[in-house]
Amino acid sequence: MHQMISDRKTVFWLVAPGMVLFAAMVFIPILASFYYSLTDWDGATAYHWIGLQNYLQIFIHDKIFWKSLLNSVLLGLGLVLIQHPFALFIAMLVQYCGRWEKLLRVCIFIPAIISTFVTTKLWASVLSTQFGLLNNILIQLGLSSWRQDWLGNPRLAILCIIFVCMWQGFGYAFLLYYAGIKGIPQDLHEAAMLDGASQLQLNLKVIFPLLAPVIRINVVLAVISAFKQMETVFLLTAGGPADSTQFLSNYLYSKAFRDNMYGYGNAVSIMLVVICLAITLILNRSIKREVGEF
Amino acid sequence: METSRVKPVVPVDARYAAATLAKRRAGRALFVCFMAVLVVADLFPLIWLFDFSLLKSGDFFASGILKWPDPPMWKNYADAFAKAHIMLLFANSLLVSGVSIVIIILASVFMGYAFTRMEWKWRKPLFALIMVGMIIPIYSTLLPNFIIFNQVHLLNTYWSLILPYAAFSIPISMFIVTGFMETIPRALEEAAVLDGLTIPGIIFRIILPVLRPAIATMAVISFLNCWNEFIMAVTYISEDSLRTLPFAVVYFMGQYTSNYGAQFAVLAMITIPSILIYLLFTDQITRGITAGAVKG
Repeated sequence: MHQMISDRKTVFWLVAPGMVLFAAMVFIPILASFYYSLTDWDGATAYHWIGLQNYLQIFIHDKIFWKSLLNSVLLGLGLVLIQHPFALFIAMLVQYCGRWEKLLRVCIFIPAIISTFVTTKLWASVLSTQFGLLNNILIQLGLSSWRQDWLGNPRLAILCIIFVCMWQGFGYAFLLYYAGIKGIPQDLHEAAMLDGASQLQLNLKVIFPLLAPVIRINVVLAVISAFKQMETVFLLTAGGPADSTQFLSNYLYSKAFRDNMYGYGNAVSIMLVVICLAITLILNRSIKREVGEF
Repeated sequence: METSRVKPVVPVDARYAAATLAKRRAGRALFVCFMAVLVVADLFPLIWLFDFSLLKSGDFFASGILKWPDPPMWKNYADAFAKAHIMLLFANSLLVSGVSIVIIILASVFMGYAFTRMEWKWRKPLFALIMVGMIIPIYSTLLPNFIIFNQVHLLNTYWSLILPYAAFSIPISMFIVTGFMETIPRALEEAAVLDGLTIPGIIFRIILPVLRPAIATMAVISFLNCWNEFIMAVTYISEDSLRTLPFAVVYFMGQYTSNYGAQFAVLAMITIPSILIYLLFTDQITRGITAGAVKG
């Protein structure tokens, strides 16, 4: 048995195909991306090696890069401070829905299952000036003066993006908390109830602390997803108006394919990878420390 | 003594009980209302989508929120079906998702076995490397892959979608598979070895059948990811005959800007399979999505 499970040839044939695929599609491209980020390539003609110039440009002159980063932070805050507390609250409430519990769970998760390209097109029409649902609702409520070109106004557009992202991801956030609560052993509930704890006390003093690890992981996931944000912006505003809703993934795309600054786009891309890795590392570190305090 | 103490308490208690009962009922009603409003608000854009997909073009600009389709314009669906080449796009999407899923499952099961059951030197660092793949934003590989695919002539082939889809699903699938494999008793394999099975035999005859629930979960989650993927499909494919479903939306929004009914019908037609798959496999999807976050 031992001889069999440490047979090198078998390990090689089991691991190599998947590993090669993974490396070829994920790690080698990132190395290639790093190489191109050191050039001034426009994607078509000959290019020159320009060292770290693209990165210098990003750090010193590129306001849109920092704007994109700020937008990611705003989105992250929206997810962590609004979406997640609300999702947790609803996940706790759903526990008291008896036979409707499963139906509610399914309904709440449905928006998350629909492809982003459909949901964004849907929201684009909800927010549209022509026949948009939102403007129509305002008219019905007698608030005609509040009608807006929601996605045309730079300040409102970013809020709309954050709202749509919160709506799309709500099902996931909810489900993660819901499963977390379900994972808490039932006898703990019963013991607390026998001790005369009220529903509220049960939630605050038993469930909430036990959920702490789940909450932390979900917050990390939420922050990373904010920095990875691409499809919603790409389809809803494409970063506009005037780059007010720009996010890094969309920015690297538009630099490379719209402005023909392929080398620069790759530099933005590498910055995105570094930022995502750094955030995960920092959040994981701080989380581990907190866990240690228990 | 005792009765005199108890007597005056009883009516107060009864009144109190009645009051709490009323309060509880009111609370319950409020709760039901709140949950109902939440679900309707959450699903409203979808209800609106299906409503608008049945409207006449002239009805869109009328005021009002939900407009009763009178008569329901099933023709919108027929139009969309005819003009957006839905069957071709469906077939392409199915092919790409299907092949990706097969690759993902085989790769994840083989690797999962090597990572959980076998002993070798690079086990831990390689596993960590795969898990880093969960953090790396897919979109950071868009530009380099575009160039690489161009150089090796993979642009405008199904493989330019299948390979990255499969690769990017490997981390989450490995997470699910390794988590599940830890729960399979080793005695099962030891018995198989005594019966003369080799490692491939063990994987195909023992592990694969036991893994069935985990495989179902992986398949459904990968399916939804591939089915819904958008940016790569638009970036790597420019040949109309190879387009996958997401392209239908972009194409349609561009070509038929004034035919709103058909636009909404396209959106609805793409949405229906996702919802059906979800309703059929709710439990697998729930398990898969929560496996990563809750245990990890």
